[in-house]
Amino acid sequence: MIATRSLVSVVDDDPSVRESLPDLLHELGFAARAFVSAEEFLTSDCVERTGCLILDIAMPGGMSGPDLQHELMLRRRQIPIIFITANGDPTIRPRLLAQGAAACLFKPFSDTALLEAINAALGTS
Amino acid sequence: MGETERLKRCINDLIGVLALPAIWTGSDPTHVLSTLLEALRGMLGLDLVYARMNGPPGEAPIEVARVAGADTFTVQAHEIGVMLDERLGADRRNWPPVTRNVIDGTEVSIVTMPLGLQGEIGALMAGSGRADFPSETERLVLGVAANQAAIGLREARLLSDQKRLATELDQRVARRTAELRASEHNLQLIINTIPALAWSARLDGSAEFFNQHYLDYVGLSAEQARDWDWATAVHPDDRDGLFATWQAIMASGNPGEGEARLRRSDGEYRWFLFRANPFRDENGHIVKWYGINTDIEALRQSELNLRQMTETIPEMLWSATSDGAIDYCNARLLDYTGCSAEAVMGSGWTKLLHPDDVEQTARVWISCVTTGAPYRVEVRVFHHADGTYRWCVTNARPLLDQQGRILKWHGTLVDMHDWKEAQEALRNTQAELAHMTRVMAMGELTAAIAHEINQPLSGIITNASTSLRMLAGDPPNVDGALETARRTIRDANRASDVITRLRGLYSKKEAAAESVDLNEATREVIALSLGVVQKDGVIPRTELAVDLPRVTGDRVQLQQVVLNLVRNALDAMSAVEGRPRELLIRTGRDEGDRVLLTVQDTGVGFQRESADRLFDPFYTTKTSGMGIGLSVSRSIIESHHGRLWAALNDGPGATFSFSIPCEPVGARVESLVSSA
Repeated sequence: MIATRSLVSVVDDDPSVRESLPDLLHELGFAARAFVSAEEFLTSDCVERTGCLILDIAMPGGMSGPDLQHELMLRRRQIPIIFITANGDPTIRPRLLAQGAAACLFKPFSDTALLEAINAALGTS
Repeated sequence: MGETERLKRCINDLIGVLALPAIWTGSDPTHVLSTLLEALRGMLGLDLVYARMNGPPGEAPIEVARVAGADTFTVQAHEIGVMLDERLGADRRNWPPVTRNVIDGTEVSIVTMPLGLQGEIGALMAGSGRADFPSETERLVLGVAANQAAIGLREARLLSDQKRLATELDQRVARRTAELRASEHNLQLIINTIPALAWSARLDGSAEFFNQHYLDYVGLSAEQARDWDWATAVHPDDRDGLFATWQAIMASGNPGEGEARLRRSDGEYRWFLFRANPFRDENGHIVKWYGINTDIEALRQSELNLRQMTETIPEMLWSATSDGAIDYCNARLLDYTGCSAEAVMGSGWTKLLHPDDVEQTARVWISCVTTGAPYRVEVRVFHHADGTYRWCVTNARPLLDQQGRILKWHGTLVDMHDWKEAQEALRNTQAELAHMTRVMAMGELTAAIAHEINQPLSGIITNASTSLRMLAGDPPNVDGALETARRTIRDANRASDVITRLRGLYSKKEAAAESVDLNEATREVIALSLGVVQKDGVIPRTELAVDLPRVTGDRVQLQQVVLNLVRNALDAMSAVEGRPRELLIRTGRDEGDRVLLTVQDTGVGFQRESADRLFDPFYTTKTSGMGIGLSVSRSIIESHHGRLWAALNDGPGATFSFSIPCEPVGARVESLVSSA
């Protein structure tokens, strides 16, 4: 049972997101891991196992969300990415989608919006 | 000898003596005396005869003597005279008529006769050794002879005096003539060598004389230049003008001058200044005219150069007399305005100005002419080419003499219409740019606020969703739900903290504590927003207190507040129609060592019941805008220990005011700075 649950990894510098989102993901039926930065994620053992990545766009002091996306492309590791951002600039969404993101959610987002995005990313419904 | 014979001889002798004056005519006294003595000696058979004629006082007398048997007498004559003086006394008037003397051992009778009634002419003396000398007839002959001699000598002396006088006169005349000739020569030299063309003219104006320099210069002989023929050397174009001037000078009877070109002997014409002075006799009547012509070609040339410069320089130039009358405009200025020089001269220049500008401009000009202050006016000037009035700036400065008196005014006129329009456009652009910047800054601020708020909101929603799902499970995960509910509350508090922090952001003490002149800061703000103010058709007025104390604070923040209040006022008036859009900015002292600034508009005002909410964040009555301007402004004013409030006017519009403490003295400054 556990082996069949997809791993959803969360990378966000905001502690409340890292704290709350894994619990919600569990409730939604996914395995979840949270990382404080892109670097922490890349050095973990989850890179190969992650089925979907929920990624904050702006993370001061280190790699940004798009930076991580680029790095994964270089490693030929294709993980569906759902970008999340607290910056309400609507022009950012089409740009990210064009660059291969599975979805882009503006904080705060509802649990159903999140579930829809994950399902779309994992190709399930 | 018989008596008859003797008488006959006597008569002959007398006739001989009387004839003597006939041979004396034109003779000198010596000759008169000599012939007399010769005749007497022969007639009377005298051994010794002597005569003297007194000279002028201080001169020796003329003395002549004849002695029987001696060939030369002149040497002895003086000796005889001396001897007579010794023997008969120095005063000849006391000489006895006959004396007997022994001379050289011989007894001699001597007769003396005065010449002239008192002997003033001289004396005659005759001596003979004969015992009967002098006989009666001899005495007679001698008397007549003395008489004749006196007459002859008087005439001779008169003659010689006349001759002497004539000679002396001749000499003096010769000397004077020589002197005159020398002085005339000298004068001639001066006249002919002075480096000027000198001339004289008769009363009818015709030429009488030219100095050699003149004749050499024009290459004419005196004959060729006489009367009016000299005018052939005057340039044909200048002749009539010069004659007219010359007639005018003669008619006036006063010294005068004129200018004309004279042809030099090599054919080149050069400009000359002709100057003439009248010469008057003792009655004051003009007898002649004397004149000098001076070469002013170089002067004319430099004048011409200057004129060429003022006429070709690509600027509009003018000048005026010390009393403010225009006396020159260059061609560029005349072309620009399409006026003739005559029309502009004096006070005609006001015709060039826009009628609305004339009064003000004339007032400034008169003031400058009176005080000597530099003149500078922006004024609309008629532009002939397109028939419009264009904005120009005219500048003038006085030319002063050494005593500081105004001699002249020199000015320029510059068309700055395009520049002024460009300035206007630039100001509008700046205003728009400032607005854009404000909008963009507002956008960034909005984004920052949104980010700060969205983070905790995100947590709230996520936790709340999780909590609901945990409770909805079977069995419900109550512990998990409680935990996530607690997190929800915590995140909500966090969001509240963010708002608090945001408000704190504006009261944060990045504010500099400097000494600020609120009047000056306000003027800067007005200058910055002037473009917008004017564009909106708003009439801005300021009443800034003269003795406003300074305040301590952040100049830029305070200016932001003023700018914000001004912009709000403008926005409030943007929709106003049918009444003046008036903006009044005032500063003044407030009670309790405070400074007050008010911004009063005639705009739409605000709802009385919403007065308290105006300063709340995000409260706005405008369709555009965030509604944080007044909130931020109040934060800033409160951080300056001040107060910001709004009030409705009695008439239309609203007044926003703030009051802050004025600059403290001494230690209070220290404490404020350190607490800030």
